Amino acid sequence: MTQPRTYRAVGLTLRKRLAGEADVIATMLTREHGKLDVLARGARRLTSKLMGHFEPLTLLRVAVARGRALDVISEAEVITAFQSVKTGYQTTARALYVAELVDGFSAESNANPALFDLTLQTLNAIAEQPMSDLPLRHFDLRLLDLSGFLPELYCCIDCGAELEPERHRYAAGAGGTLCPDCAPPDTLIRPLSLPALKVLRLLHRTAQPAGLPSLNIPAAVQNEVHSALSATLQYWLDRPVQSQRFLDATKSA
Amino acid sequence: MITPGQPTPGSTRSLGQLVAELNRLPGVGPKSAQRIAYHIAQIPAEEARGLAEAIIAVKDVLLFCAECRNLTDASPCDICANPQRNRDQICVVEDPRDLVALERTRAYRGLYHVLHGVLSPLNGVGPEDIHLPQLFARLDGASDPLQEVIIATNPTLEGDATADFIQRRLSGSGVTITHLARGLPVGGTLEFADDTTLTRALSGRSPLE
Ligand SMILES: [Zn+2]
Ligand SMILES: [Zn+2]
Repeated sequence: MTQPRTYRAVGLTLRKRLAGEADVIATMLTREHGKLDVLARGARRLTSKLMGHFEPLTLLRVAVARGRALDVISEAEVITAFQSVKTGYQTTARALYVAELVDGFSAESNANPALFDLTLQTLNAIAEQPMSDLPLRHFDLRLLDLSGFLPELYCCIDCGAELEPERHRYAAGAGGTLCPDCAPPDTLIRPLSLPALKVLRLLHRTAQPAGLPSLNIPAAVQNEVHSALSATLQYWLDRPVQSQRFLDATKSA
Repeated sequence: MITPGQPTPGSTRSLGQLVAELNRLPGVGPKSAQRIAYHIAQIPAEEARGLAEAIIAVKDVLLFCAECRNLTDASPCDICANPQRNRDQICVVEDPRDLVALERTRAYRGLYHVLHGVLSPLNGVGPEDIHLPQLFARLDGASDPLQEVIIATNPTLEGDATADFIQRRLSGSGVTITHLARGLPVGGTLEFADDTTLTRALSGRSPLE
């Protein structure tokens, strides 16, 4: 059986790199074909129809021709460039945080429509609540879930006992929550308060960012949730999240 | 094909080394590196020595202008030292090549500031990693009152983020902050312009004089 020589897809540009004189290689997350690297010939020429289409965070309808090394864009039409999230460097960085993690957790050519939908929903949530961290934390947990790395939040990952209130800790490297009696070797165990655990469970239960209740979470609990989630993301990613470093570095600015 | 760093049958260690070094240059792939290496191997010794000396001289002599951060052989650079330039205008560019492009137009008579990069969240490049602190220090410490800062970053996601960062940092300082007009490329047509370009062309429209 031979594959068709061209195919169509709807995809979000996650990152781009420059190639050749005026070409762009874009990493796209498509609903139909998962993550793809595609070559956009001449996309940096001012006269090209493709000019500007492959900036990160652009949703495109594309026609792609299969190539030997890389698939090549034959047509591209912008559906949205998410202008509403690109209104400032902070919201842009938040949206790029989503793009970086989706890129890191997606396998090449492995379709994950639920992850694609979550990504677009999160970008819309950032546009609606530019300075709220809750949509990002929801994204963190749902991304882990949709990638098969959901941390345990109800039982002790070591002995299996159901967690009792106020008797729980968290270890990213062990895969989630622990009871106070268990301490698997070689894992960093952190305290986890009951409010933080409840927020994590709530984030997990909420399918879409639009369904998140408007909560007034104390800063200390937010920090605890953020730190548990980012430790988990980094554990699976095995490298620091660059855009998180950027967000930290520009927080006070 | 020569594998960088490895002696290959029919090649030598010194050629392999040269290919490996050339291959690290931007835009030079393994094939081009090999072609350039064989070319260098065949040119007269003086020509090759001239090339090597030019590379070393650039590293020995070239420095950042203490004022505008452009690359120069002497600081302050020719532009900063030129009394004919307007000292109350600073144009902020990403790269020395952008400065060269603007100078080529002969349409701008103010000073510059070269950032040597852009804010890049995906690459972990923050404000401290490019020459932004030097820009703010320069503006805060300016002895002559500054009229205008022209932000001339590229119209890319990262260029825009950098422009926004500068604008927020300078807002309230009393200086006029402007941005290069962005819109339709010369020779382009409305039909093929994407929404982003059209939106910007509309918001950046200017009165006909
Ligand atoms: Zn246990
Ligand atoms: Zn200078």
